[in-house]
Amino acid sequence: MNQILLITDGGSNVGLSPVAAAAQAYEEGIVVNVAGVLDEGSLGEYGASEIAEIAKAGGGISRIVSTKQLSQTVQMMTRQTVVGTIRQAVNEELRQVFGVNSVESLPPPKRAEVVRVMEEMGETAPLKVALLIDASASMKPKLLAVEEAIRDLSLSLQARSGDSMAAVFHFPGEREDCTLDAPWTSSTERLGSLFGRLRMRGTTPTGPALMRVIAYFHESYGKIVSEDEHPASLLKRDDTDGMRSDYVV
Amino acid sequence: MITSSEKQLPPGTLLTGKWNGRIYKLERLLGTGSNGHVYLASYGRSACAVKLGKDVSDLQAEANILASLDHREKGAKRRPFLLDVDDAVVDGAQIPFYAMQYVPGVTVRAYLRKHGPEWAGIIGYRLLRRLSELHDAGWIFSDLKNDNLLVSDYGQVALVDYGGMTANGRGIRQFTEIYDRGYWSAGSRTAEPSYDWFSAAVLWIHVLDEKRLLHLTRTLLPQNRDPGELLALVKTNSTLKPLSGWFEKALRGKFASTQEAAECWREAVHGASRAKSQPSSRIPAWMAGVFAVSLLLCVSLMAIWLFG
Repeated sequence: MNQILLITDGGSNVGLSPVAAAAQAYEEGIVVNVAGVLDEGSLGEYGASEIAEIAKAGGGISRIVSTKQLSQTVQMMTRQTVVGTIRQAVNEELRQVFGVNSVESLPPPKRAEVVRVMEEMGETAPLKVALLIDASASMKPKLLAVEEAIRDLSLSLQARSGDSMAAVFHFPGEREDCTLDAPWTSSTERLGSLFGRLRMRGTTPTGPALMRVIAYFHESYGKIVSEDEHPASLLKRDDTDGMRSDYVV
Repeated sequence: MITSSEKQLPPGTLLTGKWNGRIYKLERLLGTGSNGHVYLASYGRSACAVKLGKDVSDLQAEANILASLDHREKGAKRRPFLLDVDDAVVDGAQIPFYAMQYVPGVTVRAYLRKHGPEWAGIIGYRLLRRLSELHDAGWIFSDLKNDNLLVSDYGQVALVDYGGMTANGRGIRQFTEIYDRGYWSAGSRTAEPSYDWFSAAVLWIHVLDEKRLLHLTRTLLPQNRDPGELLALVKTNSTLKPLSGWFEKALRGKFASTQEAAECWREAVHGASRAKSQPSSRIPAWMAGVFAVSLLLCVSLMAIWLFG
């Protein structure tokens, strides 16, 4: 299961439409969720509707929240999307194999069984979440809350039974549309203070940044996890000795 | 998936089960849980609680947990939690629901307000005993909080809203921030007995010292959240202070088992009540004061009489 979580506070203003980029992501099997953060003022009609549109095109959820609610929201959106993705797959299966429309049309005892399987899948299926952080000038006072939300999310990811990874990008980058801050990792420590050295700029190239993240999913596809700098922290259970070289992302 | 169950249903609404055919009459709204509304309902002449949900899978997941608890606790002397799972059609929309045992009672804070904080001792002990049963059955309650702990006559406790309950070793999926040990940088979000100990500790701080706890969460920077901050509250609260040894262990996950946590609580409560009753067996301060004054008076009168 692949997800992109975009955290932003306003409309894009450079390059490709982020809605089109999100549609592209969804087409390639990556769900796009959007958290719109605002504390005072408003996102503006344009910003708010763009946030909703990006999530819609990306098959995900959008929420507009204050910095205080950000951690809980990010964590919940990720979880809900996992549940949603599995539900979709299971309903598809039900249609093809049993000719029923959805879980709803099953009698309760059968339903109980299907839901049990779905829960198991939700907990154990591998999950990758790429966080894409808007670091344009207006986001500066919110970055502390963003860092906290990232720390909080990785705490929840670490607790899952299935392999769970997060990567962090911010945009705009120094020279490019988007910069990779932390490659796929499951350890929280590495996601500590990512943005301390950031130089904020005014433009918001959300679309191009999304495209860069989609490409990153492809680049890292098939690579072995052990390239990570802290391989030990990736092993959540002690029953594996050394690297999990067979882990294909 | 939006159904008419998003809005409240008026008392008197009849639910007819599509699969099992039972008819329930809704009496009143009891509360709103994570995945839907819970009503007090009557089925024939008996009362039960009915939960109507927004989403079939979420609701079924909860019903599964209750069914599993009923199964694993088969030997226990209690009535089953789960009574029925079905769908009903209300205003043309299909709504999933399940019926469960009705649990009377009020939240623990409301109970202590009415009956006094001295009931915290027995309630806390019973809570830990109940958690110990769940842990023995392989479940972690995980979303323990004031709203989910109901207390009835003479401090009887019951946990409600099992929607967050998680199998031991899995990831916690439902929690309330201030009760979450991850939020306080006090450990992982993996479901294990120590996760519930931590929430139980926060529960008592929240119930008995709400103002200072909420002030702390508002003012503390995320990087400074630490179980030590909670412990500092405990040590400066007159009701909680005698139990600070228990809180230290609960907040830092230092019990060997939930049974030990319950035992430790019991001993701490006895210790606290002994300490309380001791000063009253000595001479009260006011009496000592009066005695000293009268002695002084007597001496000075004698002095006046002798040398005056």
